[in-house]
Amino acid sequence: MSDNTVQTGAMAPKRKPVFAAKWLAMAQSVGWAMLSIGLFVAFWEFAWWRGWANPLLLPPPHIFLANLADQVRFFDPNGQRIGALSEGGSIWSVLGVIGWSSMRVFVGLLIGFAASVIVGVGIRYFNIFGKLTLPLITMLAPISPVAWLPVAIFVFGIGNPPAIFLVFISIFFVMVLATLSQIDAVPKHYIQLARVMGASKRQIFLRVILPAILPGLFVTLRMNLFGAWMVVLIAEAVGVGSGLGQVTMMARNTFNASLVFFTMTLIGLTGFLFDQALRLIQRKVLWWIGPSNIGAL
Amino acid sequence: MLGLSIANVSKVWNPDGPNPVPAVTNLTLDVALGEFVVLLGPSGCGKSSLLYIVAGLEDATSGSVTFDGLPVTQPSPERSLIFQEASLFPWLSVRDNVGFGLSIKGGQPGARKDKVDALLRMVGLGGAGDRRPDELSGGMRQRAALARALAMDPKVLLMDEPFAALDIQTRARMQDHLLTIWRASGASVLLVTHSIDEALALADRIVVFTARPGQIKAEITVETPRPRDLRSPEMIDLARRCEALLAEEVTKAFKEQELL
Repeated sequence: MSDNTVQTGAMAPKRKPVFAAKWLAMAQSVGWAMLSIGLFVAFWEFAWWRGWANPLLLPPPHIFLANLADQVRFFDPNGQRIGALSEGGSIWSVLGVIGWSSMRVFVGLLIGFAASVIVGVGIRYFNIFGKLTLPLITMLAPISPVAWLPVAIFVFGIGNPPAIFLVFISIFFVMVLATLSQIDAVPKHYIQLARVMGASKRQIFLRVILPAILPGLFVTLRMNLFGAWMVVLIAEAVGVGSGLGQVTMMARNTFNASLVFFTMTLIGLTGFLFDQALRLIQRKVLWWIGPSNIGAL
Repeated sequence: MLGLSIANVSKVWNPDGPNPVPAVTNLTLDVALGEFVVLLGPSGCGKSSLLYIVAGLEDATSGSVTFDGLPVTQPSPERSLIFQEASLFPWLSVRDNVGFGLSIKGGQPGARKDKVDALLRMVGLGGAGDRRPDELSGGMRQRAALARALAMDPKVLLMDEPFAALDIQTRARMQDHLLTIWRASGASVLLVTHSIDEALALADRIVVFTARPGQIKAEITVETPRPRDLRSPEMIDLARRCEALLAEEVTKAFKEQELL
């Protein structure tokens, strides 16, 4: 499309087929996605039909998706104690639960992204700051976010903050190191040219280094998105008392396999939508990176 | 004195390390106002180092560089730099790339846009202002880089093998282009190349470098008016001379590499 935009007139009538082809390509990719999931579901249903899968332990989709009203009543955005019947029971309460989990991931990612870029840039720009922090960061980086969970609860108690903190931890160290490597990978010539054109240190940072490192950082962010989702569920199961993780944990404790799989489906869908949203942002904000460089799907 | 004056400049890379690398040794060279000087030499002979020093991006280990009588201590828009790769910023349109230096300087956006568009037309990219750099061919990108350098109204264009990455046909076109622009702008040019043909087609004066550490081996003034026919007997003679001078140095460079 980009190549055609410059040639006006002669190319204009050709727009339509290009548009149609785009829809066709999209329909095709959706078709393949359906087939991919459909085959998996079919196998599961087949296993149930043959009696290989115990419906109490591995209830197939037509069972755990059948009685929605029954599932939905376990979803309470305000959290719920084991066994007690909740105030939930509508689609809104389900959306509320998803919303809380999403909010925790979103806020954690946002703070983590901003903080890691600031710290990463600080390390490269201020020598002493780098010498003081980098060894510590490199040492803390390999510690699993799950190991931070007790710390999060000691410090923040029960509620949103520990979950957000864990999401933050799950991306912060990785992103600091990614920021460093991205800064080091900025072509020297970019900076030299900016200097020759009279740019100050600040201008070089804002107008050369920042746009040069953002695409790579966004890819790192997207790769760590799923990790953030995993962490938030653990935090919710243990230290928050609400959200998709809490529902899953409650389902486990009440031996409600059907609810487990229903919640898992919701988690999968939400994570998928998050990734799509990040991709969209990536494409709109970082427009100079072609779609081919953005990644799969 | 007007113009560029390089006096007794030496550059050693990594001077305090275990293997200091002398890049340029005791080099003296003047470039007059509006003169087109080509530095010709084998790869890795310190030509580029010299260019960086003149640009103010690197300090000389000893010696001095003055421009219009003032010592060069830092980069300045009046000494524009062009690399082998265009190095356009991929996040800016071609127009914004060319106008980058002007926007740093500040001033009226309207006037800036007029100037940038005029420059784009001058380098033959009048219709490409809104495109992204990665939509352009290598030659077009290099012309945009040229426009970006010219936007700063430089007094010297420093060019580091600017056409080496282009195919031969594009290269010849770009050389013509450069000559036209050079005449129109009145700037001096200091161009680094290892192509004898390029040197002969462009230069008022060819400065042949020795193998590393770079020193001046010979200076050849080319008085033939441009455009030059590189197949004329006179030019073939010059090419032979350059070739002979270079061949010695290439042999020397090879020997040194084998020793290492």
